[in-house]
Amino acid sequence: MRESHIALLRAASTEAKLLLIGIPVLVWTLLPIYHMFLFAISPKDSAFSGKLWPDHPTLRNFGIVFRQEHYFLHHFWEQLWNSLFIALATGALTLTIATGAAFAISRLKVKGGRTVMNLALFTYFIPAAFLAVPMYRTMGVYGLLNSQWSLIIAMVTIATPYAIWVLKQTSDNLPVELDEAAVMDGASPMQLFRLVYLPLIAPALVAIGTYAILLAWNEYLYAFLLLSKDTAITLPVALGNFLSADDSPWELLMTTGFVYALPPAAIYYAFRRYMVSGLTAGAVKS
Amino acid sequence: MASVAIRGARKSFGTTAVIHGVDVAIADGEFVVLVGPSGCGKSTLLRMIAGLENITGGEIKIGDRVVNHVPPKERDVAMVFQNYALYPHMTVAQNMAFSMKLRGAPQAEINERVKRASEILGLGPYLERFPRQLSGGQRQRVAMGRAIVRDPQVFLFDEPLSNLDAKLRVQMRTEIKELHQRLRTTTVYVTHDQIEAMTMADKIVVMHDGLVEQIGTPLELYDKPANQFVAGFIGSPAMNFLKGKVKVNGSATFEGPNGVKLPLSQAPSSSDGRPAVYGIRPEHFTIADDGAEAEIVVVEPTGSETQVFAKLGGEEVVAVFRERHQFNPGDKIRLKPDQRVVHLFDEATGKRLTA
Ligand SMILES: Nc1ncnc2c1ncn2[C@@H]1O[C@H](COP(=O)(O)OP(=O)(O)OP(=O)(O)O)[C@@H](O)[C@H]1O
Ligand SMILES: [Mg+2]
Repeated sequence: MRESHIALLRAASTEAKLLLIGIPVLVWTLLPIYHMFLFAISPKDSAFSGKLWPDHPTLRNFGIVFRQEHYFLHHFWEQLWNSLFIALATGALTLTIATGAAFAISRLKVKGGRTVMNLALFTYFIPAAFLAVPMYRTMGVYGLLNSQWSLIIAMVTIATPYAIWVLKQTSDNLPVELDEAAVMDGASPMQLFRLVYLPLIAPALVAIGTYAILLAWNEYLYAFLLLSKDTAITLPVALGNFLSADDSPWELLMTTGFVYALPPAAIYYAFRRYMVSGLTAGAVKS
Repeated sequence: MASVAIRGARKSFGTTAVIHGVDVAIADGEFVVLVGPSGCGKSTLLRMIAGLENITGGEIKIGDRVVNHVPPKERDVAMVFQNYALYPHMTVAQNMAFSMKLRGAPQAEINERVKRASEILGLGPYLERFPRQLSGGQRQRVAMGRAIVRDPQVFLFDEPLSNLDAKLRVQMRTEIKELHQRLRTTTVYVTHDQIEAMTMADKIVVMHDGLVEQIGTPLELYDKPANQFVAGFIGSPAMNFLKGKVKVNGSATFEGPNGVKLPLSQAPSSSDGRPAVYGIRPEHFTIADDGAEAEIVVVEPTGSETQVFAKLGGEEVVAVFRERHQFNPGDKIRLKPDQRVVHLFDEATGKRLTA
């Protein structure tokens, strides 16, 4: 009785300590977002007032953005669509390539598969920023500059090694007898892939798909280099262009940024269950 | 249903040879148990029959067909795995139907067969459940159901009961045997538990280090083990072995450790002085005035019988009595082996000497 009581107290005090660390971290993370939100609901003249809450909060800025009523915002919807298309295509391609690779390496035990994966992971030793210029050259050679496919290909290249690694770790945790049972039941490798493998790694697929989509959605550097036409660029690049003016419309910049940040937040919230279980899968051998 | 013939089968993983030439003939409808200590190659041999491991040498025939190079799905054998290997994302019914679905069987036939199999196994109420919602015993039944539905030529079981608790194991043992008596499908069953082997098998194959030590019915193996390994492996508690010499002058006796005299029914006079191993099962000792003197070390009553560990000529032996004696550690008793069921083995080769 007494001992369990003490243990309970001890656990409670540990939780209190964690909370003490957690709350400042949370505030620290949320502060910029709040700041952004504050800009978005402030009228132009009071944006820099420094108040914690504007005297006359307004949604006018959102109206300007959605109706594309500013020089920098003339292609807002088109650029948002570009971002969406590139993100979804990156997600789909990354998933296709990574599942195939992970299945071949982990389940079919293709010779040299591990080496291929390690080589792919090795590319992460070079910061992606350093590869941007060579990538730009390569895309130029293939005449892909200014095509959205150049950015999609670049993003897939960056996302795939990690995706393969996570999916391979997840697959390694599936008992090999499942495959053998399916083989005994008469499944071909493709049937095994479709009917047994894919359903079982579905949570990891959600996590990896989200990861790739957000990677492309949030990308700035590559998008800036590879795309330049106003109608081809993604929204982050368009936002960057705001800063080229002498008097940047900060409140509109922040409003657009806030709008752009909402879909990732929604995705994270919807798939939070898979994010934790999927991305940590394979971290510990279970 | 089909017979299975294994001739000179060998298996190596890289350079390590694991199965060194195994011959087993399994008749149509027979229930054969492969038994042996851990690592002796039972699973490997079973997987060679299944087609999950390729065959390094020799030949495996199912029915009239050599299957060395036939892929698993064309061998028409079903396998039940130790950890059941149920598809976690499919219901019990879907698990059982999976193989038929892959073969493109008509839905009506699939339903019919799943229904029949679930009736046989008492799985009716669980058909729409997922494996994680089942108990260990129920999962075990689903794994068998998956095999039954296919109505294959051969059932292969790899230690299917080892994940169950003792009581359920005994129950499932009976169920599997009943199932076999009902379906009469040729079955190869792997276990390292000799009791499972004894109780279930029509025929037992005792394996050791990748070789077959003996093949026979359970009682043949119990009554006439071909060598010391089989003698020690079959039967529980294990047979007692005492080293010594055969003495023949007029009548035959055995001179055990420290000169203990033990009875022998007969031995050719030529074997006088031959070093040998005297084997006697714990249940074949009686207490008799003309027995050899032994000192009790430990007494373990189980209720139905009492196991007595005692020092006989300095060697520890175990004796089992069904009748109740007053035994206490330190007591001196006189243990007499039943000379009709004594086994003699060659000391060097371990081969059986008595007929
Ligand atoms: N894939 C493999 N690669 C290399 N060696 C293997 C492989 N599979 C099995 N072996 C070896 O082959 C031998 C026989 O293994 P097997 O699994 O057939 O034993 P078993 O009789 O089934 O034992 P257990 O009762 O423990 O299941 C073992 O020594 C094992 O280490
Ligand atoms: Mg085994």
